[in-house]
Amino acid sequence: MTSLVTARKVSKHFGPVRAVDDVSFDIEKGRILGLIGPNGAGKTTLLKAVLGLTDCEGDLSVLGLDPFRQRRKLMQQICFIADVAVLPRWIKVSQLLDYVEAIHPNFSKPRAGELLQQTKVSPTAKVKELSKGMVTQLHLSIIMAIDAKLLVLDEPTLGLDILFRKEFYANLLNDYFDEERTILITTHQVEEIENLLTDVMFINDGRILLDSSMDTLSETYVELMASGENAQKARGLRPIAENEMFGKSVMLFEGVGRERLDGLGEIRIPSVADLFVAKIKETRR
Amino acid sequence: MIDHYLALMKREFWEHRSIWVTPAAIASIVTLGTVTALAFAGDFAKELDVAIFGAQNIAGDAERRAVLTGLFLGSSWLFLLGLGVLTIFYALDSLYAERKDKSILFWRSLPVTDAETVVSKLATAIVLIPAVAVVAIIATHLVNLIITSLWVSMKGGDAGVLIWGSVPLLDNWLATAISVFGMALWMSPFLGWFLFVSAWTKRAPLLMAFLPLVLIPMIEGIFFRSTHFGEAVWGRGAKIPLFAHMDIERFFDEGHPQVSDEMISLLGHIDLGRFFASVDLWLGIVVCALLTTAAIYVRRYRDES
Repeated sequence: MTSLVTARKVSKHFGPVRAVDDVSFDIEKGRILGLIGPNGAGKTTLLKAVLGLTDCEGDLSVLGLDPFRQRRKLMQQICFIADVAVLPRWIKVSQLLDYVEAIHPNFSKPRAGELLQQTKVSPTAKVKELSKGMVTQLHLSIIMAIDAKLLVLDEPTLGLDILFRKEFYANLLNDYFDEERTILITTHQVEEIENLLTDVMFINDGRILLDSSMDTLSETYVELMASGENAQKARGLRPIAENEMFGKSVMLFEGVGRERLDGLGEIRIPSVADLFVAKIKETRR
Repeated sequence: MIDHYLALMKREFWEHRSIWVTPAAIASIVTLGTVTALAFAGDFAKELDVAIFGAQNIAGDAERRAVLTGLFLGSSWLFLLGLGVLTIFYALDSLYAERKDKSILFWRSLPVTDAETVVSKLATAIVLIPAVAVVAIIATHLVNLIITSLWVSMKGGDAGVLIWGSVPLLDNWLATAISVFGMALWMSPFLGWFLFVSAWTKRAPLLMAFLPLVLIPMIEGIFFRSTHFGEAVWGRGAKIPLFAHMDIERFFDEGHPQVSDEMISLLGHIDLGRFFASVDLWLGIVVCALLTTAAIYVRRYRDES
């Protein structure tokens, strides 16, 4: 498989604070990777390094380019929507499309027009006249009309209501994603995206806690709901986390075969959110 | 490459409507002034008839040209003044507003380098804004000439002789264009400074830009008892080496004005050779280049989060 992003010993510090601390990973083509971490974990800094918006130590290569030094070339191949990368409020929708068309070699204005026709965004409107949801639709329409190899989404649906959020991800999957494209996404609303991820990466205090494909994840981690004696037995298999729920114990196991838990209670694949919480607690112990 | 810059400058034109609103406003004021003056002039019907008759039959071509050129110059100065204020505000806003409204990350998500962005803003200030102003000046002159010639015709004067035959239009416009672009180039170190402040300051760009320009001369005066910095900064505008030495005394030779075509030609007063040979001009351009580079680095290396 071809690696789209290669990071080796990447670090970034602000004074004494290590926002990203000696991180190494690969992102392969055709994947949808969720980057998950609490606030201040270093997610945004890492994304910025990938996007060439900030310099960093170590070796970082995106599409074979040095993102910070070859940002212009890189931006012809990758797109991003960040919660903080807001569209300018003064611009008209039609002006925005004209501008991107003039600047971006891989942008298709007719395609953006088609996508916008499915929304209520009028070409003559100014961005400041649109609601937050409509601005995101506009931004997404522009991004989806760019033939890019890598799309980076940093909290793209923050502040949007549930209808817009669902629609956003549905559009992304149906109209945009294919095996030629790769998506890197961060969000707080993990539950909403975990079904569309192919890979997941947990990050905390600038370090990677977990880097795995979703398939491996469901093989490696098992959640067991048990009570009484069974729970006691299960505890012997050393769960990495345990919670009480409805008088039962919910335990999370790493690398423990399902066959060993059979008969002890209800077995499930843990949700990414639960797994994340368990992993964070594990590091604090 | 050029397409890139055109798109970037078009963007500036969309964002900063003052680039055309300011010249349009000045043009309206000048035109309103002309119309008002002509309307009130009607109260002096007799004197006017005499004046028009006099202008047409007694005064020479040169005198008529001198008067109209003077009027032209007057309105052009108004534009130049507006242009200066507009450019200061534009430059200070150009790299500050995008950070304030957080659109900078969107702009940086597109394949445009920081150098291209900053240079496009410099080019907007040095080329686009002056170009719009020159067009506005020419349009204002034309509109006002048309209004005035209609009025003169109504009064029975020969507008062809009095107005159109008496203004060296091309000479005047070319000289105006050279002066406007020359002034932009001459003042470019300030432009570089404003761009840098705009990219660097976290708040109050106007204050941040002018505070050092006021404080440094004061400090220099207190500690060194000299005025080099103050003179270099605040006196620069008046020192533009674009015009040939003007012999004012000859103009009033023997107590009455001696008007000749040679003196009325504005182009005749412009000395481009002197301008481009001026060390001060090139020093200013170097300062502008250094400060613009600094602005590019600030935009590129600053982490906005």
